[in-house]
Amino acid sequence: MKKYKKWIIAGSLAVLAAALCAGLYVRKVQRENKSYSLIYIPKVVDGTNDFWTSLILGTEMAAKEYRADIEIMAPEDENDVEGQNRFLEAAIEKKPDAILFSPSSFTESDSLLKTAKEKGIHIVFVDSYTDQDVQDITVATDNLEAGELLGKFAAGILNPEDQIAIVAHVKGVSTAIEREEGFRKGLGDLAENIVDVVYCDSQFDKSYALTMELMEKYPNLKMIAGMNEYSSVGAARAVKAAGAEKRIQVVGVDSSQEAVQLMEHGVFKGIVVQKAFKMGYVGVRETMRMLRGEDYEKNVNSGCELVTPENMYSGEIEKLLFPFNTLKTTNPEQ
Amino acid sequence: MKRNRPAAVIMEKFKSIQSAIFAAASILILGAVAVVTIVSMSFTRNTIFENSSLYTQTIIQQMNQNIDSYIDYMENIAYLVSSNEDVQSYLFDDTADAQARERILGQFVTILESRGDILNLGIIGTNGRMLINNGSESVNPDLDLDTQKWYTDALNSNSSVSLTSSHVQHIISGERPWVITLSRGIRNPSDGGAKEGVFFIDLNYNAISALCDENITGNQGYAFILDQEGNIVYHPQQQQLYNELQTENIDLIMEADSDTVLTGNGNSGKLYSISRSEKTGWTVVDCVSVKELLKKSNQAQSIYALTSVALVIVALFFSSFISGSITLPIQRLRDSMARVQEGDFDGPDVEVDSENEIGSLTRSFNMMTHRIHELMEQNVRDQEEKRKSELKALQSQINPHFLYNTLDSIIWMAEGKKNEEVVLMTASLARLLRQSISNEDEVVPIAQEIEYARGYLTIQKMRYKDKMEFQIDVDPSILHINLIKLVLQPIIENAIYHGLKYKESKGLLQVKGYMKDGNAVLQVIDNGVGMDADTLAHIYDKHKVNYQSNGVGVYNVQKRLQLYYGSDYGIVYESEKGKGTTATITIPGIQEGASEKI
Repeated sequence: MKKYKKWIIAGSLAVLAAALCAGLYVRKVQRENKSYSLIYIPKVVDGTNDFWTSLILGTEMAAKEYRADIEIMAPEDENDVEGQNRFLEAAIEKKPDAILFSPSSFTESDSLLKTAKEKGIHIVFVDSYTDQDVQDITVATDNLEAGELLGKFAAGILNPEDQIAIVAHVKGVSTAIEREEGFRKGLGDLAENIVDVVYCDSQFDKSYALTMELMEKYPNLKMIAGMNEYSSVGAARAVKAAGAEKRIQVVGVDSSQEAVQLMEHGVFKGIVVQKAFKMGYVGVRETMRMLRGEDYEKNVNSGCELVTPENMYSGEIEKLLFPFNTLKTTNPEQ
Repeated sequence: MKRNRPAAVIMEKFKSIQSAIFAAASILILGAVAVVTIVSMSFTRNTIFENSSLYTQTIIQQMNQNIDSYIDYMENIAYLVSSNEDVQSYLFDDTADAQARERILGQFVTILESRGDILNLGIIGTNGRMLINNGSESVNPDLDLDTQKWYTDALNSNSSVSLTSSHVQHIISGERPWVITLSRGIRNPSDGGAKEGVFFIDLNYNAISALCDENITGNQGYAFILDQEGNIVYHPQQQQLYNELQTENIDLIMEADSDTVLTGNGNSGKLYSISRSEKTGWTVVDCVSVKELLKKSNQAQSIYALTSVALVIVALFFSSFISGSITLPIQRLRDSMARVQEGDFDGPDVEVDSENEIGSLTRSFNMMTHRIHELMEQNVRDQEEKRKSELKALQSQINPHFLYNTLDSIIWMAEGKKNEEVVLMTASLARLLRQSISNEDEVVPIAQEIEYARGYLTIQKMRYKDKMEFQIDVDPSILHINLIKLVLQPIIENAIYHGLKYKESKGLLQVKGYMKDGNAVLQVIDNGVGMDADTLAHIYDKHKVNYQSNGVGVYNVQKRLQLYYGSDYGIVYESEKGKGTTATITIPGIQEGASEKI
């Protein structure tokens, strides 16, 4: 009978081990198959803005690939901080697994983000961030680097005495502050030639008007640098409208179809392009990795590239400038 | 010392034959199952791997042919358009009629409407004339066509048709779609056939993705296309690739000499199947992750594993059953032997299930046990016989001295002419002798024993006229109870010769009989000289010489009583020096059966 006992013990151990393995495997599969809900709140939903369109496309594609539900909630104006906070509040009410957030304000959303955090919602900053460390992950362009890249390029096409004006987007926003700082750094000594910094509140029209004023105010102005799509395209429109493209060189951050057109037309001399699609995609990918308990990166620099009229038709730049949206996974409307 | 064979050494490790058989069978079965499982598993893995690559290879070759014929079709369109006289005259002839433009546009619209996979098509002359799609699109005014590869290639390359990789088409303002452009130079017949115009077709990905995806179903992989330089023409995750979010090992594919390339290691690797097209220069690649590929083989392997586990379990049960059924008769034999060893012969025979060695062994054992049992019973019977004859021998020992003395007394009385006394004594003696000699019964009723005692006492009283009196007082209720013969008389004799005989005055001997606590009690009480404690302590001793060295003493009586009734019964003496002695005989009041009790 002792013999049998041994066998029975061995047998039950084997069965236990098998059950344990099966359980772990099932848990892993369940984790991978579990559907997570995400909400992304960009600064703006604007079909004319290629940066945000690409970024949102990136989040949606990654969500599809990682089988997550993603909802996009955003105001129609980029500087609508209150509107964005209302969406943030609504998003918290829905209690998703994570909120991906591109804050329009450096400070105004902090209390809401803390509330979300207390409710166990993960916070992921995409593109911009706030002054409080409430996020689990940050995915953004290194805006200092982007500004510096633009500044160095600008320095290369300027004479030592040339005057420079900056059209920034929103005062106090992290991206604006850092890009300007980087731009000044990249310009080096030429940074002293910056005669003015204006804020267009991320509106094409305001940027256009401000640029017109600048050209009037500083007749010897040689360069206008836009710090985002609204500011740089608005400025370029104004320069083109004034027929000043030979006299004033426009450089900027963020591209769009219109910016590319303006570059082909010779208005833009250089654009630093953020990898918007990658930013959105990586934001969701890292969020999903975090939710699934896999290894993830807390801080991702999605990178940027300088586009000039010389390289704009090269394959590498085309890939960045123009979303490959003929895919079936993409909504043909976009 | 005996040399140990290996098998014997192994067998020593097991406490029972059953576990030895079980272990041997289990090891054999486990080994066999393991070998078969491993062999079939690796065989399956290889087969599935090979079949999969073979299957994929076939599929992508087919795919490549389909793409070739698709491009062929587009080349035909290009040929038809560029050799069209209307086209040539529209581009190069300043005097062309307006109808030619309409006819060309009509052709373009027909093609566009019938083909969902053509995004744009058009003709462009180096002189700046152009016709695109339905003619109403506005052309990008800022585009320098000389920067566009499809345009320059068509004009400058030697081949008639140029095919681009995936690129962005900038020619129509406001639209910058990703396309694949097929372009063909248009010769100006009036200018010595120099290429002075370009026809182009922009292909969107509808057809190509359909061609790449259609055959992939069921294979869990995907196909993509590379151009000569290794640029992506089509990939199902082109956007991710363009944004460095996906990678394919393109260098490896471009350098590969064989049809299949395996990258990465283990389950995380990918299997690329490659097919190159002579026509387009494109490389069609099918990519299956090794994990997916081996899923089937893993499924098969898990089935094998499960089956072998089930087989092993069944086999273990079976071998335990077999070893059990082989050794069960041995175990039964062993248990039965252990019982016999303990002295228990009453158990049933060991069952004989089979006619094999163990069966005959069992049968022999059964026979042996029976024989031993018989011999032992025989032995018990012999012992009984021996005891009985000893008892008889003891009983038959009547004191000859008493006989002589009595006869002497009779002679003296006859000489003294005491006729009556002679008669009485002789009659008593005769009764005594009759009873003593009639040996047929071992036991007699107490009544008879009392009569015997009375006869004896009568004789003794006559002999010791002045010395003693006797009284017999027995409860009639015990008279019918059986008592072994010659119990009372030796005790009375003892009382007379050791108690009363030495008493100076006349003594009294009482015989009492009654029931007490379910036992019959007979008492012989004398008021003779009595005994001291020391004498009393030795009264049952065998060697104790009783009356004139005859053997029938207290020991004899006691032994017979206890032999017959058991050690709870027998004779007890009480005595006090100078006062007298009481002998109490106790026997069971109710005796079951007759004399068979042992």
